[in-house]
Formats: sequence, structure tokens, C-alpha cells
Amino acid sequence: MNLLSVMPGDSFLHRLNPVTKLAAAFLYGIGCILCDSIAMEVVFILLMLLISASAGLLPRALALTRRLLVLGLFMFVIQLLFVRTGAPLLSLGGVTLVTTGGLRSALLLSLRVVATMLPLMLFFAVTQMNDLCNALVKRLHLPYRYAFIITTAFRFVPLFSSEFAEIQDAQRARGVDFETKNLVRKVKLVAPLCVPLLVSSLKKVNSSAISAELRGFEMRGRESGYKEYPFGKNDALALALLVLMVALCAALL
Amino acid sequence: MIRFEDVSFHYPHTQASIEGLSFHIAKGEFVALIGANGAGKSTISRLCNGLLRPSAGRVLLDGEDTSQTPTSRLARKVGFLFQNPDRQICENTVREEIAFSMKAQGWDEQAIAGRVEEILAAFDLAGDWFPFERSRGERQRIALAGALACEPQLLILDEPTTGLDYRECIRIMDYVTALNRDKGVTVLMVSHDMELVQDYARRVLVLEGGKLLGDGDVKRVMKDEALLRSARVLPAQIPALALRLGEGFEDVYTIAEMAGAIQKRRAEASR
Ligand SMILES: Nc1ncnc2c1ncn2[C@@H]1O[C@H](COP(=O)(O)OP(=O)(O)OP(=O)(O)O)[C@@H](O)[C@H]1O
Ligand SMILES: [Mg+2]
Repeated sequence: MNLLSVMPGDSFLHRLNPVTKLAAAFLYGIGCILCDSIAMEVVFILLMLLISASAGLLPRALALTRRLLVLGLFMFVIQLLFVRTGAPLLSLGGVTLVTTGGLRSALLLSLRVVATMLPLMLFFAVTQMNDLCNALVKRLHLPYRYAFIITTAFRFVPLFSSEFAEIQDAQRARGVDFETKNLVRKVKLVAPLCVPLLVSSLKKVNSSAISAELRGFEMRGRESGYKEYPFGKNDALALALLVLMVALCAALL
Repeated sequence: MIRFEDVSFHYPHTQASIEGLSFHIAKGEFVALIGANGAGKSTISRLCNGLLRPSAGRVLLDGEDTSQTPTSRLARKVGFLFQNPDRQICENTVREEIAFSMKAQGWDEQAIAGRVEEILAAFDLAGDWFPFERSRGERQRIALAGALACEPQLLILDEPTTGLDYRECIRIMDYVTALNRDKGVTVLMVSHDMELVQDYARRVLVLEGGKLLGDGDVKRVMKDEALLRSARVLPAQIPALALRLGEGFEDVYTIAEMAGAIQKRRAEASR
């Protein structure tokens, strides 16, 4: 259901070090941003689908791709109408609507968005936030409190979304009709819900903080975790491949 | 008033949490829904006002299929108190909070103003309180006042008295009882407090693992230890004690009745 939840598994991808996974996702994204060819972006998307299939994540990856394509489509239309380089492609009553340059840059940008976001979102499917937090502390020697802030922020996102759904349900039960097509009206209806969401979130954060403190949060250091997160051959391999990919993309620029 | 016809429901990615449930609650009844944690009580109450839609079977509210009607329409008939009052409260003052559902349902200003004052008085609330900084029990009372304000015909209360002190609890329950008795408002109440259930409800639905284990008169259910045990519910103390004491204590449910029965026993013994 939730497109960012963890999908447990034991594949090559799953077994990588969490730090490697994070770096890999970013490197892949950087490669896609650097890349300047429509065909290559398509290849990157397909490659990512293949990689996720190897970890049994194809359904998730396809669902994500579909969502991202909607976002891509949105950017496509905007680019198409606003980039005015190249030869006119489509005119209506003497006004040039679409140019070749516009079409190319729109296609490139929207595919790039999909290709860049896909690995980052798939990262969440193969990484437990706890593992990421511990690995950041153990391997990158990030102070625990900062690692904790980062990972907790991610953990709270689905929590907030379910909390928001509950609050919306409560208002629906009191006769608020959210099913309106009118955007202004919709915003007017949803905006007041931010109050209970904010209140309950702040309360929750506050009591979580106190409870963490009471359980000895301050005492936690690099040696506290019993689980080790060694870098292995696979990590080196994955990182080498991705660095190579980024280098290639940069070279072709 | 409300009818469940062979209703099944499961949350995504879980096994069936409600399975083949059928019951009917007539207009004017006062029904308690009891069961252990996770038995499906909140799920059933959410099925009643269309917040959840059954995956099989039908839920009919006054003959109207709830899955065909938006919750906001059903809200005209159904007042709903959530287990957690903080989900519900969203205005800056108690007055606006109570007016909220009436506004959403399109009452006119005059009627709203009158009704708000009436409710404020009945629940002993000050209109200019900032709801979020009141105590847990006060927020509960504010949420209930908000749910009752627009005169629903069916009132669904998910643990209305948790966190309330005894006096507060009695006041709220007496108000609900008066609505039930005088205005014929149907009440479906979820509660873990068997004393409360026994004192106020007339009929009890016993739930376990999403299935209906028992359904009957509150007095009968309270004395049915086997039923309550299989639902993992501890019966109210007095009827349980009466059951232990056996003969001569058959009709004992309250402290007063227990005292009466004991006095009678004593008198007989000294004779
Ligand atoms: N949003 C949800 N998503 C998935 N499962 C849920 C959800 N809400 C409840 N459940 C599950 O459904 C079952 C019934 O839950 P429900 O909230 O109806 O229990 P309850 O009888 O109200 O319990 P309590 O006495 O603790 O309030 C539980 O096993 C619970 O884990
Ligand atoms: Mg519940």
C-alpha cells in the first residue's frame, strides 16, 4: 500500500551496506541528472526496473514509475509550452505552440525526473531506517543524535500521513464534504486540519523526545549497537560500478 | 436504525478482521459493544458511518446502504465520538468547535448560536477556552459536546468515558441517557468499563476476533461468565459476586440490590 515502506528480502540489493545503498541511490541519481540523452534516460529507467526485479521489487518499482510518470507528464507539459528554442513544430493561427527544442527538452526533463527519483524511492524499500541510522553512526562516524534526527524524520512521514487521514476521517464524520472538485474550496476545507495535525505532532514529538531521554538516549555512542555493518566486496563492486556510471555520464556531457 | 448484513471487512495486508457479521439495532435502543483490545469494536463503529466500507455484505442505515452514501451525508444522522478526542478537535475556541459540525451541515446562524449556548451550559464548558490546552478529560467532553450538537439520531461513542473522573463520567452518561430516553436517540457505545455498560446499556454485543460471540440483554450477558470468558472480558464485580453466591442472589446486579439481598439473608438467619 505505502510506496515508501520496507519490503524485506535477501537479495544482492538487500544485503548491501545501508551506507552503500544510500550512496548508490544518490550516485545513480547524479548520473541521471548529468546524462543529456533521451535514449540514455530511458535506458537508466529500464535498468533500474531490472535491478529492482532482481530484488523482487518489480511491482513496487512499476507502481513508483507510474506515479513518477504523472509528475513527469506535468513537467513535460510545462517545458513543452515554455521552452522556445529550435524550429516551430506546431502552430495555431500564426502562434507557435511547440518547438523542436521544447519537445526535446521537455522529454529529457520529464524522463530525467523519473530516472533520478526512482532509485531514491526504491532505497526505502530495501533499507530499514534503524539499519541506516546505525550504519551511519558506525561507518561514517556521524554523531548518533544527527543520524537519529535524519532517520526519524523519514520514519515520521508515513506516521503523519496516517494521522492526517484519521483527522480527515473525523471531520468527515462531522459532516465535512471533502469530495469537492473546486480547488479553492478544497484548500479551505483542508487548511483547518493542519491545526490538529500540528498539535498532535508536536505533542508526539515532545513526548517521544522525553521518553527517549528517559531511556538513556544521551548515553548512546558508536559502540552501543551490537550489530556490525561491515563493507564487503559487494559494496565495493556496487560503488565502483556507480562511480563509473557517473564518470561516463560526465564524460559524455 | 442500523443493520449489518453478513458484513466482512479487512484492513489492507491483514487477515479478515471482521468476518460475516450480522445484527440489527432498532431505533431508540441503547447498545454496548464490548470485547478485548483489537476485537474490532472501533472497526465496527467506523463501518456504521461509512468511514470504512465493508468488503462483503452491506451496512444499512435506515435502509440506506452506507457504501453508496458519502460519510458527510451520513453525518447528518450519525454523531460520532472518536476514541481519541484530539483527532476531532480542530477549532481555536470551544464555541467554534461545537458550532463546527452544524456549520458543516449548513444550519443557519441563528439556530447555531442558540444551540451552542445550550450545549455549553449542558456540558459546563466555557465558550472561549482554547481546546488544545485543556486537560484530557475536558477535551473528551468538548469532543462529545461537538458530536452531540447537531442532534444526531444515532450516536456512536467509542470509549466515551476513558480518562474521565467518576463525576464527569456520570454527567456525560446521564446526558446521553436522557437523549436516548426523551428524544429516542439510538446509542451504540464501545466500552471496557463493565460497570458502566451494566448501568446504562440495555443490550450488549460481545465481540471477539471480529466475530459476534453474544448478543442479548445486558443482565443476561453479565451473568454469562462462560461467554465473557471466551471474549476475554472480565464481568462487572457485583453480578460476578452474585453468581458466586448462588441461590437468593439471582436478581442482584447493583450494590443496592446486593445490600438488600444480604440484609434479607441476615434477617432470615436471625429469625
Ligand atoms: N488502520 C488499520 N490498519 C490495519 N489494521 C488495523 C487498523 N486499525 C485496526 N486494525 C486492526 O484491526 C483489528 C481490530 O481493531 P479495532 O481498532 O477495531 O479494535 P478495538 O476493538 O477497537 O480495540 P481497542 O479496545 O484497543 O480500541 C486489530 O487487530 C487491529 O490491529
Ligand atoms: Mg477501539
